[in-house]
Amino acid sequence: MNTQSAAMPDAEEQPARKLDHSIFEADIHGQALNLQYLGRILQWVRPHRRLAALSIGLVLVASLLAVLLPVVITRVVIDGIIMKQPEALLPDFGMNEANAWLASVLGLSDLASACVLYGGLTIFCHLLYHLHRVSFARTMLTALRDLRHDLFKHMEGRPASFYDKVAVGRVMTRITNDIQALFELLQGLGQLLGEFVPFFLALAIMFAIDVELTLYLLCAVPIFAVITMFFRRATRRVYRMIRNTVSLLNQNLQENLSGMQVVQLSNRESRNLSVYRGINETNRQQEMHAIHMETGYGAFMDNMVNMALAVILWIGGGSALQETISLGSVILFTQFVDMLIRPIRVLGMQYNVLFRAMASAERIFQALDWAEHVHEPEHPVTLPERLEGRLEFRNLTFGYDVDEPVLHDVSLMIEPGEKLAVVGPTGSGKSTLIRLLGRFYDFADDTVFLDGVDLNSVPSSEVRRRIGVVMQDFHIFSGTILDNISLGNPAVSREQAIEAARSVAADQFIERLPQGYDTPLVERGQNLSQGQRQLLAFARVLAADPEILILDEATASIDTETEQIIQSALRRIMAGRTSILIAHRLQTIQEADRVLVLKHGRVKELGTHEELMDLKGVYYTLNQLQFQEVGLDPGEAES
Amino acid sequence: MNVLLRLMPYFQQHAWAFWTGISGLLVARIFEAMIPLYVKEGIDAIAAGQAEIGAGTSSWEVAVQALSAPALAIVACVLAQMVVTIISRILIRRIGMTAAFDLRNRVYGHLQRQGPVFFNRYTIGDLMARSINDISLIRQFIAGTTRMTMVLIFTATVGLIFMFNLSVPLTLAILVPMPIVTLAAWHYSKKIYAQSYQVQEGFSELSTFVQENLNGIRTVQAMAQEEREVERFDVVNGRFLEYNMQLFNTTSLLGALMPVLAASGTLVIVAYGTTLVNSGEMTLGTLAAFFSYLALLLWPVREAGSLVTQWQRGASGTARVFEILDYEPEIRDLGQPDHPQLTGKVTVRNLSFQYENKDRNALDDISFSVDPGETIAIIGRVGSGKSTLLRLFVRLLDPSSGELLLDDHPIKDYPLAYLREQVCLVLQDPFLFADSLGDNIAYDDPERHENEILESADAAALGETITEFPTGLATILGERGVTLSGGQKQRATLARGLIRKTPLLILDDCFSAVDTETEEHILSGLKRVRRNLTTMLVSHRVSTARHADRIIVLDEGRIQEMGTHAELLALGGFYADLEAVQKLGGRGQDVSEVEVS
Repeated sequence: MNTQSAAMPDAEEQPARKLDHSIFEADIHGQALNLQYLGRILQWVRPHRRLAALSIGLVLVASLLAVLLPVVITRVVIDGIIMKQPEALLPDFGMNEANAWLASVLGLSDLASACVLYGGLTIFCHLLYHLHRVSFARTMLTALRDLRHDLFKHMEGRPASFYDKVAVGRVMTRITNDIQALFELLQGLGQLLGEFVPFFLALAIMFAIDVELTLYLLCAVPIFAVITMFFRRATRRVYRMIRNTVSLLNQNLQENLSGMQVVQLSNRESRNLSVYRGINETNRQQEMHAIHMETGYGAFMDNMVNMALAVILWIGGGSALQETISLGSVILFTQFVDMLIRPIRVLGMQYNVLFRAMASAERIFQALDWAEHVHEPEHPVTLPERLEGRLEFRNLTFGYDVDEPVLHDVSLMIEPGEKLAVVGPTGSGKSTLIRLLGRFYDFADDTVFLDGVDLNSVPSSEVRRRIGVVMQDFHIFSGTILDNISLGNPAVSREQAIEAARSVAADQFIERLPQGYDTPLVERGQNLSQGQRQLLAFARVLAADPEILILDEATASIDTETEQIIQSALRRIMAGRTSILIAHRLQTIQEADRVLVLKHGRVKELGTHEELMDLKGVYYTLNQLQFQEVGLDPGEAES
Repeated sequence: MNVLLRLMPYFQQHAWAFWTGISGLLVARIFEAMIPLYVKEGIDAIAAGQAEIGAGTSSWEVAVQALSAPALAIVACVLAQMVVTIISRILIRRIGMTAAFDLRNRVYGHLQRQGPVFFNRYTIGDLMARSINDISLIRQFIAGTTRMTMVLIFTATVGLIFMFNLSVPLTLAILVPMPIVTLAAWHYSKKIYAQSYQVQEGFSELSTFVQENLNGIRTVQAMAQEEREVERFDVVNGRFLEYNMQLFNTTSLLGALMPVLAASGTLVIVAYGTTLVNSGEMTLGTLAAFFSYLALLLWPVREAGSLVTQWQRGASGTARVFEILDYEPEIRDLGQPDHPQLTGKVTVRNLSFQYENKDRNALDDISFSVDPGETIAIIGRVGSGKSTLLRLFVRLLDPSSGELLLDDHPIKDYPLAYLREQVCLVLQDPFLFADSLGDNIAYDDPERHENEILESADAAALGETITEFPTGLATILGERGVTLSGGQKQRATLARGLIRKTPLLILDDCFSAVDTETEEHILSGLKRVRRNLTTMLVSHRVSTARHADRIIVLDEGRIQEMGTHAELLALGGFYADLEAVQKLGGRGQDVSEVEVS
């Protein structure tokens, strides 16, 4: 964009590819495990990889201990102490020896030392599990905090052209809910880790004890896996339907609540209720489907563990009777069954989370990869401490879309301290002109100059510090009145902020508030009237003390008294400052030094009020219409 | 907790399903508790078989035969338990869903009957939360919490009975550590409840921050505040992390503590049980069965704490939903049916209105009357009571004192639906639904003919706009469709009012966002469409008011001046001043919107 040639037409400088913002509106359904996304998420984990490694080490040791615990009961207590056959030709992983050693060291009976061994191992094992979980959570939460920080920061930097096209809610859910879904995913991965490690260890021990019985039990695993997959596939459509109906219900309710008075005044209550009832009914039917399927699946999985007991008893019992395994081993198998089944159940539970998280990951990276931005100069020019405030437009042509210019060949010089009123019909390009001055959009180089310096060679933050913009939809931040004036600028002291408020006569209403300047304001300043909000916006810009002021006068009707206060505040903030204002009120226009008339993006007329009146052109017509408007019927006006 | 009694009707309504479900759960517990008994039999059979084979009194084939009975019995128990569980769970979960379905409809219908006082007290976000989240909580309470409570009670009771049956001393010994487990679970559940609340708060703090920031992104960028906003975000973001960690720490600690405490039960079985087995007082199978029963018993003990919080959540959800359902609509609909079409005659006598928590009357002793077919303009400062007055005619508000008669009948005599069919108020704030433009105009009756819609759109000076849209009246408005300008929105809502041709039409400052030329167009359209019908309109502009038959000037809730344009000018009061200011200064006049050829 920032080429050296000013003469080059816009169209050739614009990137050929048009950005398609509609992807932010599209519904994304996670399709499958996307390893690429997973890999990208792990990039944020990388700085915390030591903690992650520690966490994984902990779960390995803890799982090992967890698997040994049943061995203590079965091989040491049942086989060794009760059945008195500890030397049975089966692995005990050194537990009998450990117990014997412990018994001799502590001077306890075999049974008492087995209790100590078991108790000690349990405590140690669960302590390690606890440390694993906490360290794992810390790793993931920190990684996601960083991701959220990066995403927020990225979105803060997207230009106005982005926010023109993408609804705020769409961006917001990416920063909040979608990252939360990733946490669920990572938490689920942690849980799976905690389940699969014991699964494989238990499997190893079982194979070591009895291959045949283990193989029989293992048959259950694919069966469960297939059933789980089948169930998930069957419920997916139902869950999607439920999600859709729920969001329809929410939309309907939200809209009905927002337009409640219209609903009531149009007698639409019963009709709207029946629409809502219809959606609700569809939702209920789908929910009922889901209930039937879920209940069947859940009960099946719950009970299959017990079914395995029958298998162990039948086959394991036969082996025990043939003396190929010990009785303790049979009981050990009954204790391990749970460890075999659980990972599949957890996997089943994580299935939905996984799909949701993949969709979330897609949305997050979509936003993070959205590189649209206002170009910053490669070799920024440093502006002097204090500008004179001369603005120049030189053959400026600009359009939001390449093929639809909004401003055509605008050339204009505004002298330091001059007040320029901009008038023109809707769509004439007035707002665009002031947006460009705030560097909210990219335009060609060498078309706008500030004290003779190309605006594109000044960093946008610097431009915005020098050119203050008061927009119609000025935003009030939650915080105190004082915060809203100073906006955290350390250069603005409390005294200066109060002085700014006083200059625009905002002090009158502020001091009447219960906590004065420290009164907290709610979002969008709903506890202030429109006039008060406007005065506050004036105070804010005055406190920032920009050299050039751009102002979009509010169109909404305000009562005459407040109007007067605002007019004089306006005069106060424009004093001695180069000011450009989009004027809607005749009084404001008449007070300006010159008037610029824009039409269809072109400069139509430019001059003082009197000059333009003499010209009898567009401006004159505008005024004639106004004057004609009041008291044109002489018959009535006379009486 | 008493508030949960309000849910009783839902249980009573489905009493049969509920009690069948509950008994089914009990039966399932009994089947479940029988399984360890057959495991015990199997193990004892193995031990006995080993002894017999060792003694040479039996072959292993015979001994294996002895295992078939307990193995098959386990299979039978598992299947029986599964079937019974599925049936009873479905029965109870269906009740929960039905209750949620019914409550949603009830809340929705109830919300539609509320007036402005109610909607001032409750924000939309709050009402959404109550209608969605809190009703879900109730559903969970009915379908999950009550069922879980019964399951846990049954499990513990049945488990204990079976255990006592096997060995009284061992059962008593196992019970010793249980109170500690219960207390620990209780303590941590409370802590977890508080901390999850904190996490939710943290999340909503985060959401609010982001939303607010993005809504003001243009200001943030214009003031070059991005970095500061990121810093402020980091604080909220970091706090959310810490809240999560705290919660995580507690749940994890509880997760670690529970198996450790459970191990104490295992130790009791190992230490005491082994002694009993060695002394021959108990079989090895019984010992194994005790391990299973211990797991059965620990489950309810562990869950007891979280159950308490589930009850609390159920109760708070119920309270929040019924708070709305108990709210009496401020406007009572006591009208008698059967009224003829209104003629549009209005009589207002000594009418006063005072808002709640305000020390001054918003309307003070207002009296005037309007003849059928007359057009009345009301003019006055912001806060003079204009909007309040208009709202009384459609009973969005009811007067504090005085009389409001329509066709000589008190307004309360008309049923609300009839009144709002006869009197139409177009609000100052244009609200459009995310629907097609045509459906928005014909909002009161979607079956209206297209010609009717176009006619009223023309009268509201919206006809040209419609032809500009490629899809015309079918153009979808709102976030996913076309965004109309402020003036277009106002004209669309105006068309929505005009289409109804009600005997009385009231316009609350409906021209503030349209330019003066368009306003002229609308006013002449109004004269055409509203011929012989009563119209009242509020405006800030003398240029609008002068078209009316009579003008009422309101100030501080009182009628200051009343008469025709000429009369009021002659009076030389507020109206005449206003006319002078607007004529000379042109203040309040919009030049920017005027289209010049």
